[in-house]
Amino acid sequence: MANLTLPTTLATPKWLAGLPGAGSLPELLEQALNSPAHRERWKYTKPAPFVAATQRPMIDPDISGKTQSGVELNQSIDGPLEGFDLNQAPEAIARLCYADRVMTLDVSASTDEPVVINHTGNTRPVIIRVGVGVNLTLLENAKAIDDAQQSIWIDLAPNARVQHSRNTLDNAPSHWQYLSVRLQAGAQYQLNNHVAGCGSRRQDIHIIMDGRGAEATLVSAGKVDGKMALDQQVTLEHRQPRGQSKQTVHNIVANGGKCTFNGRIHIHEGAAGTDAQLSNKNLGMGEHATINTKPELEIYTDDVSCSHGATVGTISQDALFYLTSRGIDRTAAEALLSQGFLRQCIVGPLADQALTALVGGAREQS
Amino acid sequence: MTLLKVSNLHASVLTSDGAQPILKGLTLEVKAGEVHAIMGPNGSGKSTLANVLSGRPGYTVDSGTASLDGQALLELEPFERAQLGLFLAFQRPIEIPGVSNMEFLKASIDSLARARGEEQPNTASFMKQVRELAGSLDLDPAFLKRGVNEGFSGGEKKRNEVMQLLLLQPKLALLDETDSGLDIDALKVVANGINSFRSADSGVLLITHYQRLLDFIVPDFVHVLSNGQIIESGDKSLALELEAKGYAWLT
Repeated sequence: MANLTLPTTLATPKWLAGLPGAGSLPELLEQALNSPAHRERWKYTKPAPFVAATQRPMIDPDISGKTQSGVELNQSIDGPLEGFDLNQAPEAIARLCYADRVMTLDVSASTDEPVVINHTGNTRPVIIRVGVGVNLTLLENAKAIDDAQQSIWIDLAPNARVQHSRNTLDNAPSHWQYLSVRLQAGAQYQLNNHVAGCGSRRQDIHIIMDGRGAEATLVSAGKVDGKMALDQQVTLEHRQPRGQSKQTVHNIVANGGKCTFNGRIHIHEGAAGTDAQLSNKNLGMGEHATINTKPELEIYTDDVSCSHGATVGTISQDALFYLTSRGIDRTAAEALLSQGFLRQCIVGPLADQALTALVGGAREQS
Repeated sequence: MTLLKVSNLHASVLTSDGAQPILKGLTLEVKAGEVHAIMGPNGSGKSTLANVLSGRPGYTVDSGTASLDGQALLELEPFERAQLGLFLAFQRPIEIPGVSNMEFLKASIDSLARARGEEQPNTASFMKQVRELAGSLDLDPAFLKRGVNEGFSGGEKKRNEVMQLLLLQPKLALLDETDSGLDIDALKVVANGINSFRSADSGVLLITHYQRLLDFIVPDFVHVLSNGQIIESGDKSLALELEAKGYAWLT
């Protein structure tokens, strides 16, 4: 396999100079891009076009809710956030270097209204810093019609709480979303992720439990129908004791779609009392669906509770018989069952829009 | 008027060792207004009869016929049988997370209405009716928002089956061990529900292991199924005799 190279020479922004070894950042990034671990992360999606696109011109995302008190846009960046990880995400760091500027969003007080980020194309990287004890509802929509990339870093100060809902339902030819979240002690983070396949969609999610007693929840529903692709790479690192994480990821792959899920849980030495759970369920429908799923565990401490599981299946014949025995025809019963499978993972303030796009109708109120 | 007519039915269950014949020439007729109880030892074919009549996958009909209200059943898809008026109360109801009970019931009643050329009920009156039925069966109406049978106790699942029976108003109800796993209070609630379904136009085929249910739902006929055939038929007193003597004296 040919080596991956960055498109042109990178200029390292001053504030990134504090990264370990950043004096030779371009070289380090090239090394990281070609490391075996990185190759493994890009095993099912060709990385070269995504790496090449990291230098494409960027626009600002539309951000609403930014005028609320306690919300400040584009403050200066003193240095790299804890958790910036060259080896985990060299392409994302490269985007920070190629960007003419990086956006920041500092939230120092709990807000009444959500902060909404709409990406209408290839947007500048966003760094979100959430203050001590602050509650934030963050909504994010990706609506690009052309090739696009987005990269977001969120840092939760101690006891901050972020409810993050993200709809990625557009039909871009290719799309890459990088999301890194770091939780300090007692912080709570939930991501409600709703995603449709596109020409080639890649979602990288890196959650770092970097303080005692942090809690993270990932709930994700995806649908990949027709000649579409989705590649989800989730890494959840428990670096400190007594963290809790729960991931539930349901994907429907239909009619020639291709879906990859890689969920890695890494429990560091000293992260005693960690409780980490991961469940990935895939439902194949129609002809020629391709599903790759790999839950991974790396545990370097005793006294942890950890469960992970992945299933690939088709619609349950027992459930289908139950519905059809009540007079519901087979096609309608299959639709109900596949919708039900996804609905279990469609939650939060962006659920209605996601339901319409992914299952074809909002939930009937009862 | 004959509702259900089963003639010389032979059927097999598909297992990893191949097809195992279970029903070996079963003949049965249920007229409108009648309740028939089918009793018999484990493995005699009681549940197979219910499953074959309702079209569950995993069974093959080797020979014989079955009709509902004069229409041949055995070639039809399960949903077509339901649309003709057949209802199976499951021995082990299926859990379906993500599909709410209310949504499931509405889809069902709408499908049945469409098939019969009737108007679909409006949502508000439908929901009111469902809530009332749930109340009459001691089911917390909150369950309607939950996934179908999701996290229900065994007793709640059985009561949910009876609630569907009362809502869908089929011509013929096949009740497959609807009494199993119920305590005496739940048994009475379920029996009351089934009794309220009884009418001059509908029929009930009640499959049970125990005479106990028949104290609450008095059958017009009791049949003993053994080795895939009905070997004895009688009235309610046959069930009492079975209770006293077991099946051995017949088989």
